[in-house]
Amino acid sequence: MKKFSQFLILGIFVIGLFSSCAKQPTQAIDTAKAAIEAASTAGANVYAADELKKLNDQMQAAMDEVNTQGKKFFKKFGPAKEMLAKVQADADALKATIPAKIEAAKNAALQAQTEARAALDEAKALLEKAPMGKGTKADIMAMKADLDGLETSYAEIQTAIDGADYFGASAKAATIKEKATVVSDQVKAAIEKVTGKK
Amino acid sequence: MACHTPPVPPEVEKAKAQENDLWRAGAPIYAAAEYARYVDSLRSAREKLIRQNARLPWFRDYEEVRADYIVILAQGESLIKNVQAEKRSQSQDSSQRLLRVEERMGKIKALTLMMNEHAPVRENLARAEVAFREAQLLIRNEKYNELAPKLDTLDKHVRQAEEALSSILARYADDAQVARWRKLAQETIAESRRRGTTAVLVNKLARTLTLIKKGKEVAVYEIGLGTYGLSDKICAGDGATPEGRYRIVKKNAQSRYYKALLLDYPNEYDKRQFALAKKQGSIPARASIGGLIEIHGGGKDSLTNGCVGVENSVMDRIFPEISVGTVVTIIGSLESVDKVLAGLRISGS
Repeated sequence: MKKFSQFLILGIFVIGLFSSCAKQPTQAIDTAKAAIEAASTAGANVYAADELKKLNDQMQAAMDEVNTQGKKFFKKFGPAKEMLAKVQADADALKATIPAKIEAAKNAALQAQTEARAALDEAKALLEKAPMGKGTKADIMAMKADLDGLETSYAEIQTAIDGADYFGASAKAATIKEKATVVSDQVKAAIEKVTGKK
Repeated sequence: MACHTPPVPPEVEKAKAQENDLWRAGAPIYAAAEYARYVDSLRSAREKLIRQNARLPWFRDYEEVRADYIVILAQGESLIKNVQAEKRSQSQDSSQRLLRVEERMGKIKALTLMMNEHAPVRENLARAEVAFREAQLLIRNEKYNELAPKLDTLDKHVRQAEEALSSILARYADDAQVARWRKLAQETIAESRRRGTTAVLVNKLARTLTLIKKGKEVAVYEIGLGTYGLSDKICAGDGATPEGRYRIVKKNAQSRYYKALLLDYPNEYDKRQFALAKKQGSIPARASIGGLIEIHGGGKDSLTNGCVGVENSVMDRIFPEISVGTVVTIIGSLESVDKVLAGLRISGS
């Protein structure tokens, strides 16, 4: 009887040891959350929104696993820890890709800005040699005013780039290029018309 | 109690996929409150799922969990419809707003072409066109949440263009001024009828030259003016076209502008106005009153410095009809500019 009691106490001690020793991986949770936050702050929310959403979903799944194990009598946080470690690794990897994505967006904006500049310059040069005469002078004056307006808008591209709004800058530059090209086409058509008449 | 481990209901995975779809569709932006409720429901269902998963396999019962997830999936279905409806509504509202702005821009642009007015109206219009195109792109990419500031910028530029235009056209919206012009035109027609003579009526805003014989309008021709043609001429070099009653003082069949009919500008009224402007300091002290205001050929789009330009073919027709002494009345408009603006039926460009 005495031996049985000793075994019972030992058994309860061992069970208690197994169930209480497996503690929630709070440090892994905090590290994973911090890694996601760092990726987001680095610009993932703008430049990799889909990937960031996937990371958050992974984190949710890991937390579900932590909670499931937390409610079990025999806790086993190994798989949850692995999931959290993967979240952290993925978040770190995502964060590492952000500077390249930002650089690519910036380069695209700069390229679009250069193209807009070229389109504006071409339109201005064409207007300079446009046939200013009967039937065209008023149109040319109007187009010059249009180009002045586009030139003012062009300055806003740099403001957007300086504010790191690269997508906005690209869109504005593409629009200005489009409008300047329309002016160029109109001037070219006028020149061809006059040349054709001669 | 079942003897086997029950499987996790398939609705759980479906809900995960649905939540992703909702996020991609923009539910957190376009139906924020409803999406928050959906996420809450999902969270409490997940809690129940976790509780069941924490049980020993043969004690697990997913029936309640499944029932909750079925409700959530229905909630999600309704939510995605609401998101789509909200996006459709925002798209329609924005598109209609853009259409209204486009119509305003079209009218302003048409007026600038008609008036030969450029900066600052056209400049602001060009900036508005850039903002307009950017707004169109945002609508096309369903980025309605970024649209509001762009539409505000667009409105600002269109308003600035309209204000610049209004300052030019202020006299043309002054009913008393328009009434004076109308009276002047009526007197010219009445005199032509009474004396059986030919007269010319130039309407600057309508850009027309009307030939009148014995009080009847016999022909209407299009004309062109200078950059500041809608203003009343005060002094030399202002590019404005004078308003008032004049007479032809010389016919020139060998003009550098094809053929020309010289007016007796400045008349006595012009001289008084010029002296007054000088006295008030509204023109430079060294300014001269100017002269050599003609109706001439060279094209109605040749941008004069205050003269009235017509096509050479028109000059050929009116030149023989007009003699030295013919009355030429130049008015701003027969109608208030409000009516003119309302009457415009001009498309975008």
